[in-house]
Amino acid sequence: QTKWDLPTAYPASNFHTVNITQFAKDVGDATGGKLAITVHPGASLFKAPEIKRAVQGNQAQAGEILLVNFQNEWQPFGLDGIPFLADSYDAARKLYAAQKPALQKKLGEQGMMLLYAVAWPPQGIYSKTPLNSAADLKGSKWRAYSPATSRIAELVGAQAVTVQAAELSQALATGVVESMMTSGATGVDSKLFEHLKFYYDTQAWLPKNAVIVNKRAFDALDKATQDAVLKAAAAAEERGWAASQRVNTDTLATLRTNGMTVQPPSAALKSDMQKVGEVLLKEWLEKAGPEGQAIVDAYKKM
Amino acid sequence: MRRLLDALYDGAAVLAALCMIGTLLMVLGSVIDRFHRLPLRGMDAYAGYFMAAAAFLSLAHTLKRGEHIRVTLVLNALGARGRRALELWSLSVAVGLSGLFAFYSARLAWQSRSFHDISTGIDATPLWIPQLAMAVGTLLLFVAFVDEWWLALRGRVADVREVGA
Amino acid sequence: MDDLLITTLLVLSLFALLGSGVWIGLTLTGVAWIGMQLFSARPAGDAMALTIWGSASSWTLTTLPLFVWMGEILFRTKLSEDMFKGLAPWMNRLPGRLLHTNILGCTLFAAVSGSSAATCATVGKMALPELKRRGYPDGIVVGSLAGAGTLGLLIPPSLIMIVYGVTADVSIARLFAAGVFPGLLVAGLLMAYVMLWAAFHRDQVPAADPGMSFLDKLKASRSLIPVVLLILAVLGSIYTGVATATEAAALGVVGALLLSAAQGSLNWRTFRDSLMGATRLYCMIALILAGAAFLTLSMGYIGLPRHLAEWIGSLGLSPLALLVALMVFYILLGCFLDGISMIVLTMGVVLPIVQGAGIDLIWFGIFLVIVVEMAQITPPVGFNLFVLQGMTGRELPWIARQAAPMFVLMMGALGLIYVFPEIATWLPQQVMRR
Ligand code: NA
Ligand code: NA
Repeated sequence: QTKWDLPTAYPASNFHTVNITQFAKDVGDATGGKLAITVHPGASLFKAPEIKRAVQGNQAQAGEILLVNFQNEWQPFGLDGIPFLADSYDAARKLYAAQKPALQKKLGEQGMMLLYAVAWPPQGIYSKTPLNSAADLKGSKWRAYSPATSRIAELVGAQAVTVQAAELSQALATGVVESMMTSGATGVDSKLFEHLKFYYDTQAWLPKNAVIVNKRAFDALDKATQDAVLKAAAAAEERGWAASQRVNTDTLATLRTNGMTVQPPSAALKSDMQKVGEVLLKEWLEKAGPEGQAIVDAYKKM
Repeated sequence: MRRLLDALYDGAAVLAALCMIGTLLMVLGSVIDRFHRLPLRGMDAYAGYFMAAAAFLSLAHTLKRGEHIRVTLVLNALGARGRRALELWSLSVAVGLSGLFAFYSARLAWQSRSFHDISTGIDATPLWIPQLAMAVGTLLLFVAFVDEWWLALRGRVADVREVGA
Repeated sequence: MDDLLITTLLVLSLFALLGSGVWIGLTLTGVAWIGMQLFSARPAGDAMALTIWGSASSWTLTTLPLFVWMGEILFRTKLSEDMFKGLAPWMNRLPGRLLHTNILGCTLFAAVSGSSAATCATVGKMALPELKRRGYPDGIVVGSLAGAGTLGLLIPPSLIMIVYGVTADVSIARLFAAGVFPGLLVAGLLMAYVMLWAAFHRDQVPAADPGMSFLDKLKASRSLIPVVLLILAVLGSIYTGVATATEAAALGVVGALLLSAAQGSLNWRTFRDSLMGATRLYCMIALILAGAAFLTLSMGYIGLPRHLAEWIGSLGLSPLALLVALMVFYILLGCFLDGISMIVLTMGVVLPIVQGAGIDLIWFGIFLVIVVEMAQITPPVGFNLFVLQGMTGRELPWIARQAAPMFVLMMGALGLIYVFPEIATWLPQQVMRR
């Protein structure tokens, strides 16, 4: 019997983790227990920034990572974090298809393999005050938690504030943060409705969580077990994307029942944010070079 | 040799103290940045690196000052010969463990460099640079334990210091 | 491999290494190493370095070294002397007199700091020498400090509540509110204990200072102004949103430096001594934290805490029996792991069980925090005990014995919160009702 450890940073109740737990169970069932995968939720084995490295070094045979987190290392990891490049589930699925060969190649060079990836629900803007256009964000205290969100703040003239996830709740209560961009799902998880009253469903981008596996660990399996893993992964991917859409609908409803105003962005806000997206894409392409250009071209042809 | 080693431990501790100041400045910077934008990005990450360096670089110096804590109940209850034997045993264990710690810390930094492991934060620091402090600090701790072990072997009476408040 | 056998072997190796005088941080590393090499299929070394690096460079930890430094600066000023001068006249009538400064100091400081080690170290640095100078007996001083230091976790802000809130998916703001009254309750119980102790040990409590008129008392209280200002400034920075709870420690250091400059006690020598003292004290704690992080990883791989929690879940207990079982479980675990690790390692299994039993998750969070507080003062692995050992140089078993009554008091607090759950649940309902 082979045993794998699969660390993830998200709590056991998160829909990604629920999906991974099902995946682990499917693999166990399909291989008759020959491959047992232990899922370690809630950063109980490794913390978010360490997981990729742990899989690479085979300290964990598989793991779940948020791809955009690793943009510093290789620009195409961050492609699904560019605003309005892919602003719906369908578009995000196409972007994933365009990105996937490059992802596989890069991870392959690093001694890993991509098993599957599932998008988070689309990102919208949370704000304390109503927003009619991007101008209303000027001077607002905007939570920047990644290079992209930090750059957006600069472009719309918001005041970027760095607050760790752990202290977000307190920062909202004391007014350190007045606006931020994240998904409806994360908004519900972090109880943003306790402090922010407006949600604009801009569907700006759909970042993906990827489940990756160490290549040596995978190669050590016999052919039948490998096939079982790949088959379970393909099923988990379909299940995950469907779950993500369901979670999106449910969480927007939850935001509403908790007294939040949930609405689509005004035409002005939408076009302002699209302009921001264009700038970010241009800057991204400069950094990503021909490799990035090829992925974007492939995506636009789809 | 004695003077060289002591200079090494204390020199690293001075660096550690500077890193402590670095931690303070970086955290203060994050506060100030919220009101008045500072040119440096990712100060929260730097605060973490400085803190780690402060801890690791002062490991050997703190050991030499007898301020790493241990349970000395049994040691103190034994006679001179028993105490020396037990002291040699615990120092041997410590030499082994700190050796592992140092070896794998160095390997971590080395692998980070060959993997091109970069911080996922806004700072985008190549991680082997701050991890170097961990490698150097744990190596010095290992050296300090070997040093202590050698002194104990040569018959220095086990000196189980009481730490003053 | 049989879990019972693994547990026995690890506990034995822990006691053998600790007992033979191996440094505590290295002992934890050693036990983790043994556990991982023998009972998990994974090589230990690389995982050890990766996880220790992650925990040692984690931004949320920066509050600890900075508060330790603040304590070292204040220790070298007249501040603590002044504080006692100001408090003494008011506490003359209270049985136990200045012993209560430990508890009051920790309660106040807990509102600033989210960690129990920082609370214990900072207040201890100021109070221990002064109480010793005034002739209070070591035992009760150290014991009450060990107990009160844990309030750092229960009174908001609290690191451990953030960890629990994120994993259990409950509002951190509500958890913070829920901790206030239980925190005051534990503080009250500790003070009641000190009074009781004093009543039975009249001969050991130093004599009262000569009586003063009310006006003289007020005059003496002027020396409290600097401390009050410092605490208010740090607290204010948190609650007005100038700084987050973690960043407040940096303002604390600056405040302490300004105060010491204003008092004229800041010079190159005191600055250097405070800096080096803080670096060494933090280094001592950091080596233990590194060992603890590795032990947590090792436990995660072996799965011991998880298996035990799963076993409890399989018993199908009634809510009360379940809570008692969980309390015993966490107290046992708390002897060997630090608080945050306990929660992170077991939440995945324990939460569904607790939810299934219909227990309110906010209330359970407070229950957990108190149990974790108890874990901070149980040997062999108890962080407040380590901090106090570092500061007093006394033996670990002796410190643990002094802290034992506080452990019993916290069990009492648990009982009270079970019987009167409103102690925890009332305030969050009031605060969050809109
Ligand atoms: Na606190
Ligand atoms: Na304990």
